[in-house]
Amino acid sequence: MKDQLEEIRRQALTELGDDAGPEQIENVRVRVLGRSGELTTILRGMNQVPVADRPEIGRMVNQIKGELEARIEELQNRLSRAELERSLREERLDVTLPGVRVPRGRLHPITRTEQRMLDILVGLGFEVAVTPDVEDDFHNFGALNFPPDHPAREMQDTFFLGGGQLLRTHTSNGQIRVMEHRKPPLAVVCPGNCYRPDELSVRYSPMFTQIEGFMVDRAGAVTMAHLKGALSEFVREIFGADTKVRFRASFFPFTEPSAELDINCIFCGGAGCRVCKTTGWIEILGSGMIHPNVLRAVGCDPEQYQGFAFGIGVERVAQLTLGVDDMRLFFENDLRFLNQF
Amino acid sequence: MKVALSWLKEFVPIESNVAELSRRLSVAGLEVEKVERIAPAFVGVVVGKVLKVERHPDAERLNLCEVEAGSGERFHVVCGAPNVTAGMIAPFARVGARLGGKADGAGGNGGNLEAVAPLEAAVIRGVRSEGMLCSERELGFSDDHAGIMSLDRDAPLGTDLTTYLGIEDTVLDIAITPNRGDCLSILGVAREIAALFDLKLKLPKLDPSKLKPVASNGEGAMSPTVELIAADLCPRYAALAMNGIRIGISPLWIRRRLALCGMRPLNNVVDVTNYVMLELGQPLHAFDFAKLDGGKIVVRRAGDDREFVTLDQSSRKLEPSDLVIADQQKPLAIAGIMGGLNSEVSDSTSSILLESAYFDPITIARTGRRLGLRSEASYRFERGVDRAGQVAALVRAAELIKKTAHGREGAPLIDVQPEAAQRSEIELDLARLRALLGVELQPGEVKRRLQSLGMTVTGGKKKFVVVPPSFRPDVKEFADLAEEVARVNGLEEVPSAMPPRPGGAPAQDQRRNFIRLSRELMLGCGLTEVKTLAFASPQDNRVFPGLIVAPAAVVTNPLSAELSELRQSLIPGLIAALRFNLNRQADAFHAFEIGKVFFGGDSGVLEGYRLAGLGYGQTVFGGIGQPGINAGFFTMKGVLETYFEALGFTKQVEFTRADAESVSYLHPGKAAAINLEGQRLGYVGELHPEEALRLEIGNDCVLFELDFAYLIAYRPRFAAVAAPPRFPAVRRDMALVLDHDVPAKSALDAVTRIEAPLLESVELFDAYEGGSVPTGKKSLAIACRYRAKDRTLTDEEVNRAHAKVVEQTLRSLGAELRK
Repeated sequence: MKDQLEEIRRQALTELGDDAGPEQIENVRVRVLGRSGELTTILRGMNQVPVADRPEIGRMVNQIKGELEARIEELQNRLSRAELERSLREERLDVTLPGVRVPRGRLHPITRTEQRMLDILVGLGFEVAVTPDVEDDFHNFGALNFPPDHPAREMQDTFFLGGGQLLRTHTSNGQIRVMEHRKPPLAVVCPGNCYRPDELSVRYSPMFTQIEGFMVDRAGAVTMAHLKGALSEFVREIFGADTKVRFRASFFPFTEPSAELDINCIFCGGAGCRVCKTTGWIEILGSGMIHPNVLRAVGCDPEQYQGFAFGIGVERVAQLTLGVDDMRLFFENDLRFLNQF
Repeated sequence: MKVALSWLKEFVPIESNVAELSRRLSVAGLEVEKVERIAPAFVGVVVGKVLKVERHPDAERLNLCEVEAGSGERFHVVCGAPNVTAGMIAPFARVGARLGGKADGAGGNGGNLEAVAPLEAAVIRGVRSEGMLCSERELGFSDDHAGIMSLDRDAPLGTDLTTYLGIEDTVLDIAITPNRGDCLSILGVAREIAALFDLKLKLPKLDPSKLKPVASNGEGAMSPTVELIAADLCPRYAALAMNGIRIGISPLWIRRRLALCGMRPLNNVVDVTNYVMLELGQPLHAFDFAKLDGGKIVVRRAGDDREFVTLDQSSRKLEPSDLVIADQQKPLAIAGIMGGLNSEVSDSTSSILLESAYFDPITIARTGRRLGLRSEASYRFERGVDRAGQVAALVRAAELIKKTAHGREGAPLIDVQPEAAQRSEIELDLARLRALLGVELQPGEVKRRLQSLGMTVTGGKKKFVVVPPSFRPDVKEFADLAEEVARVNGLEEVPSAMPPRPGGAPAQDQRRNFIRLSRELMLGCGLTEVKTLAFASPQDNRVFPGLIVAPAAVVTNPLSAELSELRQSLIPGLIAALRFNLNRQADAFHAFEIGKVFFGGDSGVLEGYRLAGLGYGQTVFGGIGQPGINAGFFTMKGVLETYFEALGFTKQVEFTRADAESVSYLHPGKAAAINLEGQRLGYVGELHPEEALRLEIGNDCVLFELDFAYLIAYRPRFAAVAAPPRFPAVRRDMALVLDHDVPAKSALDAVTRIEAPLLESVELFDAYEGGSVPTGKKSLAIACRYRAKDRTLTDEEVNRAHAKVVEQTLRSLGAELRK
């Protein structure tokens, strides 16, 4: 019996040589250690073994079993390590193939620009208000001190909708819409679409985007110096801290004094080019101290209150900051344009 | 407004260079848009004198001239001009001169002179010619080539013609804002320059006593009369009759100045009226006095006169309220806008009546606009001319006409002004000035600034009383004075200061945050933002009526039929953007827009706010060699589910089958209505195949539109956050076979409704038709998850609970288990 066991062990260990393949290992395992394997058979036949020999035989069986199991595990580990090494050697991706892309949409450049401008303005203390696109003469013209026969009211400058309604030509209606319901102090910006009867072309669009802003408080509290300070800061945030700013006297019906804000031409640095018409300056926004008649129109006494207002075109800022010179690109929605953002 | 520097300098001694002048004017509100340097179109031309003229021996039409050009030098010149005579002073181009000959009347710009070959001595029909006597055309002054140009007798011989005529000049093109009619003249701009640079303005002395009319009984006496009926529209009408006129061409200096300022010279009378208008800002009109019936001017409304032929030979329709200048019988001019053919100054005119009036700006603007007729005169009247400048302009015109057209005053000046103009007084409180501008200004400085603009300033240290001059109707109240002070003092002088925050901390802008979040979620779902015009065609609005049934808002004056209404839905804009891209070889387009839509007609347009999207083509890339996913109903539904989930609205949103009538542009079987707590929020679905065919869209196109205002306003009930469960869940599946028409949602709802305390969640994980499933039926595979809060469930507990759920599900749905 002992010899038999020894022979089983020897035979198995011979077969479980270093070059044994997975099949051979499995064969040995099933033949020797399996449910009806050689060792199991011996254990089952223990009742034939003399009682005195039984402990000795049992010990031997277990020892051989343990030894073979350890050997099998060793061989299997070795095999799987070899397999891993092989696969690490052989599995090679072409890492230059494209990845599996997750779809990503693009924010429209006008929205992008508008958000940036509004963020700066909110930081300067303005709140954002939404005001209507469809207006009446009073809110778009009359209350803003446009004289009754002002040419802006003509068919070639304003879209009309019947029933005395029109599409606002600027976001300045926001001043009236907000102030007719709320008393100063106020610091409000009104972004939105404006409309003028111009065909969509390189320079014009029948619909465009403006931001109107105004700040009103008691006389002396918000001055022209504040207008200059706030708007210079705003413009420098947009175009860069070293942007040169100049205020140029101008005329708008709804402000007095009125001033346009120019920045030094970002294309030629002020030397003079096609964009700035050789002046070295680019006009950015219109502004001024709110005209007393505008305050009167919303029931605000100009003896007691004053403030400043400004209006800025979002497309213009987008054109300058993004280097886009064709208005149509903003409204055609050509993916080859939009995908660049 | 174009102004020649040489002309300005007659009124103000400008010392600064042009760049500084332009800068200061621009910053003060007179924006210099262009600076044009004027150079002659020739070089090497001097003042010459014709000493002798002899007939050319071999050519009948040519003369041999001897010309002196200073320093005693004599030149022999062959000249073909018929007007050449001995003793004539004329421009003489010496050998080596270059003639560019640009006939723009302004002396050309000389820009191309380098390229012109220099004049050489030549032998003409056997006679040597050492130079050339020049016509105006050859020098680029005009088209006149009838003869050589004649210069003044006292012109110094040998002087360079450019210097002698003062041709080199600079023209500033200034944008004059509509409130500054007073700057539509050389004098007005000169006044601004004087104020800005602290210079003295040389006002012209235009005293009516300088006029010397012939005695009423003398030879050539005239007796014009003026009747001012419409004094409300014409508060002042001045006129001067002149006779002895000889119509001809104006002297070169007048023609040149008119041309430099952008006006075409016509004849010596009309040119003077224009010259005075440019110089002083007061438009003048000259009538041929002989054509005036009864020698009488009547200023009245058009009334019954319905038609009138203006100078430009067009017949104009008049309205009864239009202001006209008439004689006893007929209208002679549309006041302030254009004269009539019937009283035009012609070559045969010998007596004229010069008109200088103040017309009501609104009347002129209204009539001019209605007739589509604008003139240099109406442009000035519309903006308001000097209320007191009429007589001075007549004096200036008379002075010039006497000099250039041999005229003389035929009668005393007529000046009708029923009521003198009101001069308003404005109080200027210096403390308020400081409060408005935020800058401390010395009273003396303020006073000086205002005076330099022609204002009368009286009063003491704290307050001034200011009377604006008659030419500044725009200065009406305190704010206007503040602007003048700020402007002339220089806006640079106003300091820059950060404003206080009147509202304290800015209000939390939930609305803006919501919009931004929505945009970012859409981007994250792969949709690109587009911006489309708010206009739509009537067909767009009919096919895509949007979420509300209402008439469209119609534009009264649209740019085109395609843009004649306001959009009721964002969808047509998205489809147009898709088509634009398909036409440019795009094969996929996934986009969204947030924007306004409009409803309602004349009685009141309502604005709506929408979020809409469109998907077309491959939406998810599978990777190289792997199939992607194309846009369809479920891809867009997935986008919306992701969006609602991110907003925390999942539980409140429900997709139900859309009724085909309300969204006829969608595929009837592939469209859903979206409801938010029972309220209609919008639709999602694939474009109807017929519409796709009409719009030439090849593949499936999926669309959605939501009422964005409702979404913004909606605040979901706060859902408490639950801690993650501590004990494991056990999943049991069931595969149901039920009628094809039962929506998956109903089946899930039926399971969810079952009272089973351990049943935590119910989820659909497969839907199947065909194969072993009988026709008319479908199979839904549902995963049920069981969990207890306080213990790990045993198999037995789960099996019991699941058996009950299955049994009740089958009963309530009339379904069977799939074998």
